Amino acid sequence: MHPEGVREAGLEGSFSRQTVLSLVIFAVAWQTLSYLAPTLGIPAFAIPSFARIGQSLLTITPVDVIVTLARVIGALILSFVLGLALATAMYRSASLESYLHPMIRLLMAVPVVSWILFAVLWFRGVEFRIAFVLIAVCGPVFLVDSLDALRGVSRELRGMVRSFRPTTLQYFAKLMLPAILPNLITSWKINLSLAIRVVTIAELVGAVSGIGHQLAVAQELFSVADVFAWTLVLVILLFLLEAVITRVERRLLRWRP
Amino acid sequence: MSAPKNGAMNGAMNDPPPIEVRALRKVFRQTTSGRSVVAIAGLDLDIAPREVVAIVGQTGCGKSTFFDLMIGLEQPTGGSIVIGGKTPYGDFDHFRGEIATVFQQDRLLPWRSALDNVRLPLELIRLPEGEQHKRSLHWLERLGLGNFVSAYPHELSGGMRQRVAIARAFAVQPSILLADEAFGHLDEVTAAELRETFLALARECGSTAILITHQLEEAIAVGDRIVVLGKSAKLLADIHVARWSKGDYRILREAIQATLQSNERDARLVG
Repeated sequence: MHPEGVREAGLEGSFSRQTVLSLVIFAVAWQTLSYLAPTLGIPAFAIPSFARIGQSLLTITPVDVIVTLARVIGALILSFVLGLALATAMYRSASLESYLHPMIRLLMAVPVVSWILFAVLWFRGVEFRIAFVLIAVCGPVFLVDSLDALRGVSRELRGMVRSFRPTTLQYFAKLMLPAILPNLITSWKINLSLAIRVVTIAELVGAVSGIGHQLAVAQELFSVADVFAWTLVLVILLFLLEAVITRVERRLLRWRP
Repeated sequence: MSAPKNGAMNGAMNDPPPIEVRALRKVFRQTTSGRSVVAIAGLDLDIAPREVVAIVGQTGCGKSTFFDLMIGLEQPTGGSIVIGGKTPYGDFDHFRGEIATVFQQDRLLPWRSALDNVRLPLELIRLPEGEQHKRSLHWLERLGLGNFVSAYPHELSGGMRQRVAIARAFAVQPSILLADEAFGHLDEVTAAELRETFLALARECGSTAILITHQLEEAIAVGDRIVVLGKSAKLLADIHVARWSKGDYRILREAIQATLQSNERDARLVG
């Protein structure tokens, strides 16, 4: 085997061992702390045991998970379509870009909490509020990433394709979209973790369903075990979605060396 | 002329149109300084159907600008290029499938296999799927890449990639083929081999071929005619190679070299 291959395999192996070890250390520390909590003067509910968290996990309602998932995916698809369409328009029109660019920068500087407050003050429907917040946060990320990627398409390739005289649609379908695909996938990965965090906060404030709402209920009941369980579900959900994107990425970008 | 060509795989079906270049002028404005740079200052040139013309000149003489104007990617500042009564810039779509190019770098799309790269221009002229596949495969086989149809560009050598680029150009059965320093970056043996293949195919297909090069050897080896350009694409010489016997090629090369050097000196004096 190539020496570098041995090194890579070794590093990968030790990394995964470290991960497992650190998780075990955390679990043992948590369980010990949970056991010692009463003697340390900490209320028992503050650091629940894994058995108690397990009980909470059994009460997880799949419908809330599905609702959150649907909100995230729906809003991400909308943000993606809007972001890409606007980026394409800005790429094609320098004057449109000069008008929209400062506005996009402004939107990206607005904190998530402000978007949530605007949504609550401006709109009535819960779904609309959540979609608005998610699109306001994720849309500009898709837009900026797509625009940068479009600008980065090699001048040589653009010249080559144009020399064969494509229609505008063919030009984008055969060259620009495949060329920016790697950037779009990276953008999806970034936005996915962003959307999961933002949707939770949005649901926490104004929804009557979804993981964020369940976290709010757990907080009202002072149930740290429930908070832990729902958080665990969120993290697993994120990992699963990332795994799906990675699989799609491997398939779509199989041409990469 | 823009209708998809479904005919025989090896040849342009009709006579290619003549090319008339009249008082062609291209001026660029530098973005930073705002200064105007004259790339082409009034070029006149006629190219007959099926002629193989090598355009030779030193770096920065306006050869590549002429190439871009011929493809129709740039608009002339003055004068005209007329191909069969149409202009490549003004009648851009008219030349779809009629003009094909081979560039200095292969410019293959990295996400497409060799076959799909050759297929690209055929997709653009909307040839039926089956015909696209058949024709792409045919041209890859003609270029000796029958065993590499599924290979991605990064899996091929530089010479093989340029072969794919040549196959891509011939696949549309163009009336006019343009090559911009297409063999200059390859090693001598590969370049000579590819040049020969390119020339043989161009003659077989009956296309008009314009090769832009800065290598005199290449120009003499391929051209029916050698057009020598000086600074700002000033026409220095228009040589019909057939009128020279092979034994006199050395004299021809030296004469072209002397012309180019004298033009360079004059340009420096004027500058």
